[in-house]
Amino acid sequence: MDEASATESATDGRRSARRLPRALANARRRVDRLRLGLGLPWLFALGIVVLVVIGLASALLVARTRDSAEAANHSLEVENAISTMQLLLRRSESGQRGYLLTGDERYRSIFDRSVDEVLPATDRIRILLADNDNQQRLLDQIADLLKQKVDEMKQTVAHYDAGRVADAMALVRSDRGQALNEALGPPLATMKTTEQQLTRSRTETLRGTSLQLLVINLAGLATIVLLAVAATIETRRTQQALRAASEQLAGVNEALEAKVAERTADLVEANDEIQRFAYIVSHDLRAPLVNIMGFTSELEALRGDIAERLDAARGNDDPQEAARDEQLARDVDEALGFIKASIGRMDRLINAILKISREGRRDFHPEPIDMSALVGAIVASLEHQLQETGTKVRIDRLPPLTSDRLAVEQIFTNLMDNAIKYLRPGVPGEIAVTCVGSAAGNVYSVSDNGRGIAERDLERVFELFRRAGTQDRPGEGIGLAHVRTLVRRLGGSISIESVPDHGSVFRVTLPKRWTDVSAREQRL
Amino acid sequence: MTKPVTIVMVEDDEGHARLIEKNIRRAGVNNPILPFTDGTSALRFLLGEDGSGLANSGNALLVLLDLNLPDMTGVEILKTIKSNQHLKLSPVVVLTTTDDKTEIKRCYDLGCNVYVTKPVNYENFAAAIRQLGLFFSVIQVPEMP
Repeated sequence: MDEASATESATDGRRSARRLPRALANARRRVDRLRLGLGLPWLFALGIVVLVVIGLASALLVARTRDSAEAANHSLEVENAISTMQLLLRRSESGQRGYLLTGDERYRSIFDRSVDEVLPATDRIRILLADNDNQQRLLDQIADLLKQKVDEMKQTVAHYDAGRVADAMALVRSDRGQALNEALGPPLATMKTTEQQLTRSRTETLRGTSLQLLVINLAGLATIVLLAVAATIETRRTQQALRAASEQLAGVNEALEAKVAERTADLVEANDEIQRFAYIVSHDLRAPLVNIMGFTSELEALRGDIAERLDAARGNDDPQEAARDEQLARDVDEALGFIKASIGRMDRLINAILKISREGRRDFHPEPIDMSALVGAIVASLEHQLQETGTKVRIDRLPPLTSDRLAVEQIFTNLMDNAIKYLRPGVPGEIAVTCVGSAAGNVYSVSDNGRGIAERDLERVFELFRRAGTQDRPGEGIGLAHVRTLVRRLGGSISIESVPDHGSVFRVTLPKRWTDVSAREQRL
Repeated sequence: MTKPVTIVMVEDDEGHARLIEKNIRRAGVNNPILPFTDGTSALRFLLGEDGSGLANSGNALLVLLDLNLPDMTGVEILKTIKSNQHLKLSPVVVLTTTDDKTEIKRCYDLGCNVYVTKPVNYENFAAAIRQLGLFFSVIQVPEMP
């Protein structure tokens, strides 16, 4: 990527980064609207409610229809019963008349069969009319009249049977039967009319109820159709809104990715800048240092020349003068000594910065590493110090790694060095190198029984030029800073646990397989 | 009969230049030293007014070159010298604070003859220059054809 397009894409990224919150808010608003709107679930629930209402109303109306039909039927039955009763009365009457006129036994049997059923017929009507007090009263009246009529007819027949034909005729001629018949007329008519009216009104109700049922069913159907239409529209709207929201989200994602890419580029650039800076600074600082050191040494040489010339000019007899000369020479030596020591120290610091900046830029070459062998070799190279301090080293079987050999070597050399360097005086050292595998990678631990590090210094020891504890060992405070830089570049992490006067454990987590990408991610 | 070797010193730091000169003289080398403090003037001398390098053809030159110059890097000068047909046989000694391995390799690849890192430790520095002086005294700079 050339510079112009890099700038452009960076600007793009920044612009999209500004757009980001707004786009997110839009998407959120869209989804909110979906939630607030008459959602599909509501439509569905409404549909169910409508169906239930229709069902209930239908059931109610059907029940009512059945009731109405039954009632109408009932009225018809009553009418029927009344007619039956009237028929029976007529038949008994005609049987009586036939018998009285002819004396024929067939008429007599017609009479006998009919007359005894007249009153039971009223009983049946009574049962049917149990629910209607008015009709009941009318029926009482009718039953009374009927009883008289039946008695009258039975009496005539009894007279006739007994041979008292004249008595029977006299009874017939008395018109009592006729009078009873006439008296029966109006209540029977009223009763029939009432029942007919009832039938009519009940049939009316039945028709009305059926109509209601039809209307309710049609209305329900219409509602369901409307709801279905609404649901379809709502579904389409929801889908559109969802599509828009997902499109917006995709946009947001893209913007986010652009932002991440931009940040990544920025960070990589910043990191490179720092590395370059460290490199240039350390070089440029070195040049004047060469001069300071060089001319200090020249001065030292000059001092000798001057002293010689002084001696030659003055003659060297006075012991007092000689003592003062010596004192002066010591003072000058002291001053030059301090200057040189400081220059030496400054040179070491600059070299340290240079080294770390160089490590940060060195290309790594991953290769399979037998960690047990690597640590074993380091221990062998430290044999002299180990024997001097009486230190024992235990190395567990260490799982292999695929990583940069030099970097890993430097990491463990530094850690082992430190472990030996900071033992407690008079306590034989015990150092152990162990490892456990984890999802993040292999966790190698270097533990010692040395002087340990105070809690407040645990983070400090990893900083450049910072050291902890009693400053009785040589060093510039570079080792652990260097180790941490390397571990990070290898895509790992380092942590420390320490108890002062008991020892420290350094845990280095390294990915089992180093790749450029994992290291880069780690570094950012 | 060979001409005496002229030492061309391209060094922007005058202190360094002085220290280098002192130590060369201490080594008993009395050849003339031509100091330049920037790349432009050094190149103008080396290539001559016409820029072809012909002016120095036949002159025995030895170039002491610092890599950090204000106007250009010493590498450019090295490249120019080693690609110029009249100058390419002149020995070039790179003297710099950079001890970066890739930088050193690059210089040798471009035809640098000796690479010396200026150590801060003066004794080492002086020793390196004096050894260089001994080297100068025995070196036979071939004449340009």
